[in-house]
Amino acid sequence: MKVTCTQENFKKAIYSTERVVGKQLTLPILENILIETEGGMLKISATNLEIGVFLKIGAKIEEEGKITVPARLLSNFVNNFPTSSTVSLTVVDQTLHIESGSSKAQIKGLMAHDFPIIPEMAGSFLLSLPAQEMKEALPRLISCVSLDSTRPELTGINMVLAKEEIRLAATDSFRLAEAIVTLKKEDPAVYDLFFEKTSSIIVPQTTFSEVLRVIGTETQDIKIGIEESQIFFQIDNVRIVSRLINGRYPEYRQIIPQQFATKVVLEKNEVLRAVKIAGIFTNSKAGEIEFSVDLDQKVLKVQSKAEEVGENQSIISADIQGPEQSALFNPRYMVDGLQTIATPRLALLMNSNASPAVLRMVQGEKNEEISSFTYIIMPIKN
Amino acid sequence: MTNAELWQAALGEIELSISKANFSTWFKNTTILSKENGKVVIGVPNGFAKEWLENKYNTYIFRALRNFQEDIKEISCVIYNLDQPATNSDGRKVDSIAHASIGGKSIENPYAYAPGQSMATQASYSQKPHENNINHRYTFENFIIGENNELARAACYAVSQNLGKVYNPLFIYGGVGLGKTHLLQSIGNEVLEKDASKKIKYITSERFANELIDSIRNQTVNDFKAAYATIDLLIIDDVQFLAGKEKTQIEFFHIFNALYQINKQIVISSDRPPKAIATLEDRLRSRFEGGMIADIGQPDLETRMAILKNKAAEKNFYLDEEALRFIAENVKNNIRELEGALNRIVASCEFNNKLPTLKFVQQTLAEIISAGKKKGVQTQHIIEAVSQYFNIPIKELIEKGRKKEVSYARQLAMYLMRKELNASYPGIGSQFGGRDHTTAMHAFEKVSKDIEANEKIREDVAMLREKVYAL
Repeated sequence: MKVTCTQENFKKAIYSTERVVGKQLTLPILENILIETEGGMLKISATNLEIGVFLKIGAKIEEEGKITVPARLLSNFVNNFPTSSTVSLTVVDQTLHIESGSSKAQIKGLMAHDFPIIPEMAGSFLLSLPAQEMKEALPRLISCVSLDSTRPELTGINMVLAKEEIRLAATDSFRLAEAIVTLKKEDPAVYDLFFEKTSSIIVPQTTFSEVLRVIGTETQDIKIGIEESQIFFQIDNVRIVSRLINGRYPEYRQIIPQQFATKVVLEKNEVLRAVKIAGIFTNSKAGEIEFSVDLDQKVLKVQSKAEEVGENQSIISADIQGPEQSALFNPRYMVDGLQTIATPRLALLMNSNASPAVLRMVQGEKNEEISSFTYIIMPIKN
Repeated sequence: MTNAELWQAALGEIELSISKANFSTWFKNTTILSKENGKVVIGVPNGFAKEWLENKYNTYIFRALRNFQEDIKEISCVIYNLDQPATNSDGRKVDSIAHASIGGKSIENPYAYAPGQSMATQASYSQKPHENNINHRYTFENFIIGENNELARAACYAVSQNLGKVYNPLFIYGGVGLGKTHLLQSIGNEVLEKDASKKIKYITSERFANELIDSIRNQTVNDFKAAYATIDLLIIDDVQFLAGKEKTQIEFFHIFNALYQINKQIVISSDRPPKAIATLEDRLRSRFEGGMIADIGQPDLETRMAILKNKAAEKNFYLDEEALRFIAENVKNNIRELEGALNRIVASCEFNNKLPTLKFVQQTLAEIISAGKKKGVQTQHIIEAVSQYFNIPIKELIEKGRKKEVSYARQLAMYLMRKELNASYPGIGSQFGGRDHTTAMHAFEKVSKDIEANEKIREDVAMLREKVYAL
């Protein structure tokens, strides 16, 4: 193999693929990245047998060939490249000679034909999602995903396909985040047929983390295909394939109340500060803070008390509709929830001290709720 | 041949042609989903395995399957998940395959339990072999019966035929490497063969303690107990290691009682009788003694010869009668050592390309046996071991004292020196503060005579012997 490409492209390619490579004790080749020439382009692939990532970059190919080299080593080297416009790669006897500007290295590789084959899609893409919206929504969801491997279905993000939109949801059974994103059908007839059969899938959290990494500031859309318990993503020139999690995602929509008695509109930063302070005055483990809505003074009181520490109270002016309420929350989950809010003001919606509370962003003079993102938090019952 | 058996057989063959890492990575959780008109559909857990099996291992699989069924023309892979049977029309069939393979677990299928076969492939059919820790190599058929283990073997066999009804609990004890584990595992295998649905758990007491500690740490003690309460046959190996672990003993006691009360079989092994396990709680001790206690002694010469013959046959290795006798006569204490000696001979025969004549065998084993005298053990070791075992200072053993406990210990030490090291009587005498050689002779004769009749002495000698070689 003898190839020259731009340093910028090569760096980006290594950065996009290197992360999925895991520590694999059984099959050492899985710690490697596959570099090969294909159809006049340079193709870079990596996989951990759960997720596979590959992309093609333009290159000047003088001689075809392929090799696999250790991913960590290569990426550490590439990260410290001196400024130069090009990278040249040559393979001699299972060794990759790599040269950029004043820096040169020889990396010992493994036979490329032992590298796993990354599955390709048989059909075509099903739908596409707006990349920038996803880039905003995904981090909010990922923070709610459960880490408890005894319930594997909660370790992923639920993706429900509907006619005009998809609903993404993540929960660890204490709180839940839901984002609604409008979709673009690649082929309406095929999509309609598909979503009637399979409407709900669970995508591993790590897969979406990878997708999130690959989305650039200029990325327009993310194409998605689903086949045989696998999901395929195309983001710019990067292709990601992942397994789906087997199992049924809980019917979470049933727990979201349809109507709320009380709506409290608050300044985000003020509440966030109050909750953080209240969090200090709790027992670190089973902390709870009290939210109480006071109609007379038109304020929200956030208070907490810990026997051995002390107590505190913050009073925040609020715009209140509906009866008075008070409920106990876990401060950490509340902070997580508040941090998902991207607008200066937010709405806190409550029914009672035992019913889930909801945080939503609001906008405009009338404080209209933005319904495309919902954060639900369970109160602590006494 | 059912699909499951066919796949097991084919896997056995494929495993030989590819590396272990590849085998366990790519063939884990695979199964045959259907076989019609020479078309075989293989279920694989993910897209990577599908690509790999279809593109790289296609010929291996094809060849392996063809070996067993010649009419196979085509193979293909589909992604299928184990937790939920595939949603297509094969769903039902998949389910029934999985069940058939648990029930049929096919003892007649040699590949199903072939040692060294990756657990991964078995796990795809059922978790059972994994959980119960039963090793299928140990069966009653390949257990050699001798005078020393007749009773223990008969008790174990009776238990396996009649779970929870005859001897409960059954307590087997005997020294290291005499076949306790083999007998215990045989019970498990026998029961499984008769009724594969029985829940069996074989566990060493040390693992038991570790699992308990884990469950305490993870606050899942109740789950731990509940898991044990559903077992039909509980086998605890090397129970002496529970000694001194009080909390573990209490938990074990409760589990023991729970199982015992509903007539579930419990089998326990140890290197010494319950009485001799120090710091074992009284209530546990009395329960162990409440069932049947059987011991496994050291095998006599004939038994050792039979074991050797059997092991040699297993290895397809021929040894003449003389050579066998030489090994059996010189390696006495322990069956594991016996097997080790045989392995050594097999290996050096292959290495030197020689026939195992008596002379060759003598040469090969010279290092392990120097005319009966074990390497490295000296009279000093014996005195130390005896002093530790009886908790009598060495000085007192050697001096003139005639206290009963001291003189008994001294006699055992003399007996061991003569028996194990072939030391001369005057030599033994001089070790013990210049006693007369007749004193040593008397001690040897007395112990030799008493050992026949007195079980306590027999145990003491056996324990001491182990201690000496462990020092």
